[in-house]
Amino acid sequence: MRHKGILALTLLLAATLSTAAAAPKKVSGYESLGVVAGKSGGNLTLALGDSPQSLNYYGAIDNNLGLISQQLFDTLVEFNYATYKLEPALAESWTVSPDGKVYTFKLRQGVKWSDGEDFTADDVAFTFDQIVENPEARAGDAETFSQGGKKIPFDVVDKYTIKVTLQKPTPAFLLQLRASFIMPKHKLLKYSVAGGAKPADINNAWPTNVAPSEVVGTGPFKLASYTTGQKVSLVRNPNYWKVDAKGTKLPYLDSLDFLIIRDPQAQVAQFLAGNIDQLNITGAQFPDLKQKEVSGAPFKVIRSTALFGSPPFLAFNFDAKDAALAKVFSDLRFRDAMQSALNRQRMIDTVYNGLASLPGHGVAPANKAFYVNTKSSLGDFDLKAAGAALDAMGLKDTDGDGVRNIAKGKNLEFDLTYGTDSSVYPALATIIQNDFKQIGVKVNLQGILAKNLLSTGLSGNYEAILHAFGDQPDPELRRPIWEPGGALYYWHRSLQPANDGGTPNIAKMFPWEKEIYNIFETAAVTPDAGQRKALYTRWQLLFAHNLPVIPLLKPENIGAVSNKYGNYIYNLGVIPGYNPVPLIYVK
Amino acid sequence: MLSFILRRVLGMLPTLLIISAICFLVIKLQPGSFTDQYLEDPRFTKETAAAIARQLGLDQPPVVQYFHWLAGVVTHFDFGYSFLQNRPVVTVIGELLGWTVFIAFFTLVFSWLVAIPLGIYTAFNRHSVGSQIIGFLGYLGLAIPDFLAALLIVALVLRLGGTNVGGLFSPNFIDAPWSWARVLDLLNHLWIPVLAVGLEGVAGLMRQMRASMLDVLGQDYVRTARAKGARPQQVIWRHAVRNAINPLISLAGLSLPTLISGTIIISIVLNLPTIGPLLYDSLVNKDQYMALTLLMMSAFLLLIGNLLSDIALAWADPRVRYA
Repeated sequence: MRHKGILALTLLLAATLSTAAAAPKKVSGYESLGVVAGKSGGNLTLALGDSPQSLNYYGAIDNNLGLISQQLFDTLVEFNYATYKLEPALAESWTVSPDGKVYTFKLRQGVKWSDGEDFTADDVAFTFDQIVENPEARAGDAETFSQGGKKIPFDVVDKYTIKVTLQKPTPAFLLQLRASFIMPKHKLLKYSVAGGAKPADINNAWPTNVAPSEVVGTGPFKLASYTTGQKVSLVRNPNYWKVDAKGTKLPYLDSLDFLIIRDPQAQVAQFLAGNIDQLNITGAQFPDLKQKEVSGAPFKVIRSTALFGSPPFLAFNFDAKDAALAKVFSDLRFRDAMQSALNRQRMIDTVYNGLASLPGHGVAPANKAFYVNTKSSLGDFDLKAAGAALDAMGLKDTDGDGVRNIAKGKNLEFDLTYGTDSSVYPALATIIQNDFKQIGVKVNLQGILAKNLLSTGLSGNYEAILHAFGDQPDPELRRPIWEPGGALYYWHRSLQPANDGGTPNIAKMFPWEKEIYNIFETAAVTPDAGQRKALYTRWQLLFAHNLPVIPLLKPENIGAVSNKYGNYIYNLGVIPGYNPVPLIYVK
Repeated sequence: MLSFILRRVLGMLPTLLIISAICFLVIKLQPGSFTDQYLEDPRFTKETAAAIARQLGLDQPPVVQYFHWLAGVVTHFDFGYSFLQNRPVVTVIGELLGWTVFIAFFTLVFSWLVAIPLGIYTAFNRHSVGSQIIGFLGYLGLAIPDFLAALLIVALVLRLGGTNVGGLFSPNFIDAPWSWARVLDLLNHLWIPVLAVGLEGVAGLMRQMRASMLDVLGQDYVRTARAKGARPQQVIWRHAVRNAINPLISLAGLSLPTLISGTIIISIVLNLPTIGPLLYDSLVNKDQYMALTLLMMSAFLLLIGNLLSDIALAWADPRVRYA
């Protein structure tokens, strides 16, 4: 009898707990970021760089679409705004099997789509199986979500449980999930294969002239209207599942507008006129706006260290068409000498107005989970030492024309490819050209459109290049860039596999490249966090020492925000799983 | 007259066909491909690039792509698919056409209304101080590019505390229903592009009007009219201006294509929802059918403009009709 009573009590308690667990997510603990309890109401207007190409996140790879989608949809897991650690979002909790292969997600119960339908495991399975893993979806991610040539299965266990079975342990799997917004099955089924459509039809869902009520999400806002080329209006989603520390429903804002303004100067003008309330700006625009702030303008300019964002680097083509140059470029002594001829401080001061700092090697210094301090490997700016190092390599000026010679009658000179239509590359290229000239290395500037830098790099048709790739919270997400033989490892293209996805040409790797290759291959399947960190630490040290590319600096993030608003956290742009906008309130 | 128009219209077809082939060739000759722009995105793989290229028919030989497009145009007036917008080209252009024509119309009217009286005035008062000042300002207007003029106006408005520094409406009026307040808000924004673009046209038109006015004033029939004792007003408007305006009618026809290409930069700077930036974007991103259609539209407008000005000339000047 007594036992029965205890059992009943336990059951009752368990039931209470499980309903308590179904409560909305409480967003708290951001006092260190200056977040306080806000009040409901008001509007915020942001700038959008161009018209969105579609309203279906998976229909087009487009930053502007991404910015809007971020407010309309949610992911299973998301970042903590302060630490970038993963937290529950639509998935309330999860377990990982000891071998690291089976992930079981308990979904948040009671979440409703903005049209009132229930959010269930069916939506999650549909999103991955029919959209993300559909190779015809233009902005899908079939590559990431397949293993051994097969789709990763997302199985519905019950209404609120999803089980994912991987073929091999994939420690970065949760982070990859962070980038996939969950879509409503009841609205998109008819565009999917399961709904009888052709695989590519998913791209035609929700074009920009769709009726706003069709675009349904679980995000903080829902679509109200889109005026071609001018404005995207969102209103509060009354069904949103987050509350603040006091239990007030988020988002605080009644509405969120995006004004479509293409020209950065026009964006600044609209910000100064008060038509836009928050704007991300560049280091070049900083002094002007900061001066206005100091002289009493009603806004603040805020700088913050950046985890995401592209640090520029200088890369030499190990496979340059000119064999003599290729030999010099693959020589570590040369790259080391060139690094000491890079005046990083001058670049930071003059090109970025001081709003940048020294870079890491593949990992941003702000990344607490993985960064290793490699600052000492960056060396000092010392032209004399650089010159001496080149002398020691036998690269001397033998014909007295002021330029060192690789061979008799052949100067040490190369083309530096850079982006002309950027606010930073031309200035960086000029500084490099000037300093290298002083040690007898002749640089010919070769300007191209910044958007063609990557394709030029990948084509191998360059000698040296100024370019930038983004930092990410986990090196695994940047594997195609930094793993020798990876799809974007273009400074040593002869390592690329014969076929896409094949094994790279390991025989041609330098010993240190082989070691880095092994590190990435191992870390990708090592479930233990401590072991992964150790592996990536070793990689960063190898990178810093061997310089496959020479990182220049890490720019800071700068945002300007009107004084009308509270709880502003720097707007990172399109970072799925990182959306502090629901916390912003009108003071 | 009818057969004249008919002949002209039929003659346009082969011209347009040749233009379309050349435009497509030029677009195809640009280095790179539509999918290049995505390469830096971590979500983008080579497989996706290949899939997109296949979906869009970019894996086929250019000649096939061209004739496929042409067949669509001829059989069911389908001008292709915009890669960038994921929609048929025609619907995208249609959404922006209204504002484009609206702004261009106001600009044209503005520059004509200002330039023609000024041209007449300066022709009649060749050496007065007023003419000198007008001439100077005209040159200034010609020398300053429209986007720079727009930026200067915007800077001035900002300085004076205004908020109408771009776009056609204040944010809260963009998607509001039509009302007097919205019309006023539109006018409050519209004067900046109209002034900035219009000023550039004013100087040219004014010089043209002045020159042809001076030309006409020396003609026998004007002297005859004066000698007959016609009132000066009648001499100016009935005899001189009507004849002097002929060359400007041809000019007006030629200005039709500027509807599309003439306002690219100012539309970007002032954030106007017109077709100009669309052309720029489509060319830069190799959105080939969009670019092709817009270039064709531009060519078509040029031909139509020519036709219209010929018709207008025929109406205004009997010599053209009977020649």
